[in-house]
Amino acid sequence: MDHLFPIIFWSSAVLLLLLLIFFPRRGMLARFKEYRQARQREQLEDTLKYLFGGQQSGHTLSAAELAASLQQPVARTVDLLKRMETQQLIENQEGNYRLTHSGEKSALHVVRAHRLWERYLADEALMPLENVHSMAHRREHGMTVAQVNALDAALGHPLQDPHGDPIPNASGNFRPHDQGSPLPQWQEGKIVKIVHLEDEPPLAFAQILAAGLQVGQVMRVMESNATRLVLTDGQDEFTLAPQVAANVFVSERSETAIVDEDVIPLGELADNQKAEIVRLDDQCMGFTRRRFLDLGFTPGTEIFPELQNSFGDPRAYRLRGTLIALRKEQAAQILVRPQLYQ
Amino acid sequence: MTIPSITAQDILDQAESLRPQLKEGFRDEIVKSLYSEAARISGRAVHQVGNTKWDFDQKIDRLVTSPWTGLPIMLLLLAGVFWVTIVFANIPSQMIATALFWIEDQAANLFTSIGAPWWLTGFIWHGVYRGLAWVIAVMLPPMAIFFPIFTILEDLGYLPRVAFNLDWLFKRAGAHGKQALSMAMGFGCNAAGVISTRVIDSPRERLIAILTNNFVPCNGRFPTLIMLATVFVAASFSPTVSSFIAAGAVLAVVLIGVFFTLLMSWILSRTVLKGEASAFTLELPPYRKPNFSRILYTSLIDRTIFVLWRAIKTAAPAGALIWILANININGVSLAREIANFLNPFGLLLGLDGVIMLAYIIAIPANEIVVPTMMMVYSGVGMMTEITGFGEIRALLIDGNGWTMLTAINLMLFSLLHNPCGTTIWTIYKETKSTKWTVLSVVITLGTAFLVTFITASIARLLGWV
Repeated sequence: MDHLFPIIFWSSAVLLLLLLIFFPRRGMLARFKEYRQARQREQLEDTLKYLFGGQQSGHTLSAAELAASLQQPVARTVDLLKRMETQQLIENQEGNYRLTHSGEKSALHVVRAHRLWERYLADEALMPLENVHSMAHRREHGMTVAQVNALDAALGHPLQDPHGDPIPNASGNFRPHDQGSPLPQWQEGKIVKIVHLEDEPPLAFAQILAAGLQVGQVMRVMESNATRLVLTDGQDEFTLAPQVAANVFVSERSETAIVDEDVIPLGELADNQKAEIVRLDDQCMGFTRRRFLDLGFTPGTEIFPELQNSFGDPRAYRLRGTLIALRKEQAAQILVRPQLYQ
Repeated sequence: MTIPSITAQDILDQAESLRPQLKEGFRDEIVKSLYSEAARISGRAVHQVGNTKWDFDQKIDRLVTSPWTGLPIMLLLLAGVFWVTIVFANIPSQMIATALFWIEDQAANLFTSIGAPWWLTGFIWHGVYRGLAWVIAVMLPPMAIFFPIFTILEDLGYLPRVAFNLDWLFKRAGAHGKQALSMAMGFGCNAAGVISTRVIDSPRERLIAILTNNFVPCNGRFPTLIMLATVFVAASFSPTVSSFIAAGAVLAVVLIGVFFTLLMSWILSRTVLKGEASAFTLELPPYRKPNFSRILYTSLIDRTIFVLWRAIKTAAPAGALIWILANININGVSLAREIANFLNPFGLLLGLDGVIMLAYIIAIPANEIVVPTMMMVYSGVGMMTEITGFGEIRALLIDGNGWTMLTAINLMLFSLLHNPCGTTIWTIYKETKSTKWTVLSVVITLGTAFLVTFITASIARLLGWV
């Protein structure tokens, strides 16, 4: 009997090992295959996106340029491009690649998924704007058309991503939008509206955000020269280096569009001073805007700061008979017109 | 005549073509019209005569949120709740203990007299039953007092004012003021506290609130704190002030918990949960007269009985386990002692001892049974000791088992900071749907507990206090 024991032990150990490797769907081999497929799909989708981006700005890309964007060896990129050619997603034109019609359609799908994800992460998940791009880059892959449509509908069919890039609709069309032109091209004294903030390179984008600029702000160009650029929104001044300012895209606004003199952010309203809500800030979107509206912060509502915290923040406001506390940052997003007599 | 057929796609296409014509703020317009319609209806149906109630509310609000009176009122209320709990729980606790242990004696004698084998008597009466008796005697009175008082504060509408007062602290720690609400809920039960973090809008701040909720001592741990505060901290004072000292000690422990909550929130919001504090809206509801009969019902039936039942379900098996561990002897030493001795060096390093470590391992399913487990291991070997009063507990721990002030203080700290109970861990998993955050919630609490008790023990030893 004793000599049987090692046989039983080893055969069951081998069987267990084989199961661990080859078990359908849960085995290591199947897991690895799944991972590789997902990875390949990701790279294919990224390639489509890069080619699409190149074509938007009017140039095609070579295998070497794509390899650099994908951060992988050229040889592997060439393999990928060959596969994509046989799938008729791209075509080779003298060493440079461009999207075919069906390739463009797939690329639009990925771009749409990416920008919708950015919108979702910024508005609903309340993620800081500088992290939105990289997270959306991870989330955009492997989504079906139906899933992207569902995301679009859940977000209320937004027109732009948080950087001001247009989001294509379900049939792959961009809705008309204002592209603007880089800020350094504008002369001093012009009134401009920020329509787009370029999120690449991340370092420049972080500087733009740190300066406090947002899509939708209306500003006057105060100073524009080779060393610096100064903007004002009527209250604060924003200073940018020209290289950074080149990533800010603006379009012209007429003089009247700049903020009314008598409209101030709720946070700056004096204690117990009655005011009327004029509007919510354009940049306050998604979850935060819905919450404000649900609580009754609608245009035309009378509001006044009733309770002060020992440390100045938050402050509680009386509106529609209820008492609601907001921090300074939230109160800055609600614009009010103080009533001169009570 | 033919009716043109319209497919679903036609409608979607039509909607898509009309969508660009919408003005940007059309959602605002929809909500605005809903509100004006609601205002019109309420204006027609509701007639308000004067607003005296409103003025009264405003006066109270000014008082409880003012710079000079807001925080003191909050601390006084909290200390008051603890004091009432300690004072009024003491006597019923002793009475219940006396009664239940008398039953244990009688039943054990009865079993012996009818010739039941010693292990059957021991297992049922000195194991399972004694575990139950301990939990009921230690937990029921404080819970039955604490829960209703706390529910009254909740019903009054006072708790949102606490969140309002403390928000500046939470903001600096990168957290949300409403975390104060989930912490208040945590006084009752940390699992309930974790669930109540749903009121926090932004996911990042909600996660911070979930991970740190355990630094608020729940009702399962309060009896431990109260017992230690009474037996050790307050015992050296005269009887007239001892209850105030005990309440003060419990309050101090709670404030240490608040400190660690803020510290951990601050660390989390600068490391794994990086980001600026976002989305803060807090509604301050009007004050309402509490409905006392409903409070008595919900706090006694829904909370007290519920929590007690949960404790009993874990106490009975724990009692059985301890009895078995205490009565299986290897070379004349019981298994419980064997394990406790094995854990002892580690326990001593933290200013505790092996029995306490063993008790915490057995009490992972529910913290309520820590003290009972400890008592049963200390007293369970050989002839049973009858413990009905705090004086006897003191004698057992200090004279019998070498406890010092350091042991008591570190046990309070350990009880405050250590890992969440099994139910809370499971709730954290259900709320976050993530193994990573669940594991982290255990690691950070247990890590803090080990670190803090190790530091206090080392300092006390270096300075020669023990």
